[in-house]
Amino acid sequence: MDSATTSPPALELRGLTKRYDDGFLALQEFDLTVPAGEFFGLLGPNGAGKTTLISAVCNLIRVTRGEIRLFGIDHRQPAARRLIGLAEQDINLDRFLDVEETLLYHGGYYGMSRAHARRRAREMMEVFDLSAKAHVRAPKLSGGMRRRLLIARALMHEPPLLILDEPTAGVDFELRLDLWQYIRRLHGQGTTIFLTTHYLEEAEELCNEIALIRGGQLIARDSADGLRAAYGADSLADVYVRAMAQPAGGPAGAPGGPAAGADGASAAGGRDREAAR
Amino acid sequence: MSATAARAQGLVARHRGLLALTAREVHRVLKLWQQTIAAPVVSSFLFILVFGLSLGDRIRGIAGVDYDVFIVPGLVTMTMVQAAYANNASSVFQARFDRYLNDVLASPMRAWEINLGLSLGGAVRALITGAGLLALTLPLTSVPVHDPLVLALAVALALVLFSSLGVIVGIYAQSWDHTSFVQNIVILPLSFLGGTFYAIDSLPSPWYEVSHVNPLFYVINAVRYGFLGISDASVTLSLLVTAALAAAMVAWSSWLFATGKKLKA
Repeated sequence: MDSATTSPPALELRGLTKRYDDGFLALQEFDLTVPAGEFFGLLGPNGAGKTTLISAVCNLIRVTRGEIRLFGIDHRQPAARRLIGLAEQDINLDRFLDVEETLLYHGGYYGMSRAHARRRAREMMEVFDLSAKAHVRAPKLSGGMRRRLLIARALMHEPPLLILDEPTAGVDFELRLDLWQYIRRLHGQGTTIFLTTHYLEEAEELCNEIALIRGGQLIARDSADGLRAAYGADSLADVYVRAMAQPAGGPAGAPGGPAAGADGASAAGGRDREAAR
Repeated sequence: MSATAARAQGLVARHRGLLALTAREVHRVLKLWQQTIAAPVVSSFLFILVFGLSLGDRIRGIAGVDYDVFIVPGLVTMTMVQAAYANNASSVFQARFDRYLNDVLASPMRAWEINLGLSLGGAVRALITGAGLLALTLPLTSVPVHDPLVLALAVALALVLFSSLGVIVGIYAQSWDHTSFVQNIVILPLSFLGGTFYAIDSLPSPWYEVSHVNPLFYVINAVRYGFLGISDASVTLSLLVTAALAAAMVAWSSWLFATGKKLKA
């Protein structure tokens, strides 16, 4: 038996439902399993529920109903929260702290000793080319540096699951390539990556598996090739357009839709599609 | 390593998040020292200079205490509770507004640790401002410490009460106006009306009775007793009222962190 079949999935959502106080239903009975070691992409239009899903996993919103497990542990447990690193879509750096302090305090919040946090902060500043700005406060950094610091902060406590919510939004092409390279290397070292993006080529370039979400429901999930085959499309962009144009209620009626049997889907993916109907 | 040292080390290791968050809050206070420490100390010291030293000779003493001495405990209390409140209200609101609070909420810290860590920043700021004000005042007025135990207990309860109130308002506030509203329209007037500058028993009815529903009256009364040994009401009652209010505020803020109400959508 390989480790993928014996170890619990990195992320497991069962019946996840989130209704906001104003009545808006952002996620509805959402099921998803992301195996450990996966590079998983979540695509969908604005308001589809991507950020709500991430916020639920990271304990940033109150879940209405459902279960979230991280490597088999309930997501509300401190032990589970230590396993996630989150780089949010919006830059949310502490305005009173400089680069090094941002990393050191984050390490502290996650239980790292001062000495360990110092070593790791130096390493992160080196990797993300921030050493020269170690004592510059976050608001005085350029946009690209802030984005790099955000990702460095998410990685500071060496989480086995890294969640990146549109990490390359507003980032120049060069930095985007640098980030891709670093994220790929992390994935190669065993980190599970959960990525949301609006850049379809980014998802195609990086992710083993891609899920499409709309109106708080999963509508398709497969590899990029599998999705193209299932939708009879030449490109992921075509898949996206067709999937989003499907009538509400899921892909069941769509000719060539994923319910017709996309290859390459994991068992978990199959369960997700069932749940999405 | 002794068993005690090992236990202490284990305790530190288990609560590194709490220590880091407290350190971050104190770091913010010290980084902004002109606003957080110097400004309130200077403005309260001006009250002592103007009302105590300049006008004090024209006001007869209260309960056998010179007026410039009488007002010091009330002003120290007012300065400290405002510092504790303002610090936490603005720090928590800013953290919510800029959303860097998410870094804390997503961490493995427990709800009570986050609540305590955010509260302690205000308490530390209050103690520094209170000590700073006393350091400036003592060479000019001879304020004694009559009952250090009562003084320590009264200050501790007052800081718990107003630190927690600051955290609560920081969580509920939708704008900076909301945080300053509580400061300017609630805490400041109640401090003035709670006997900072006068003894309550000199007030005519119904103001004498009305003063007894002012929570700041009990806080100031207990602190003044700790310093000067004089009080307008039972010291035990004052400590009990302050303790009850502090417990209510801690329960409220704990509930907010435990349930995520207002903190998490």
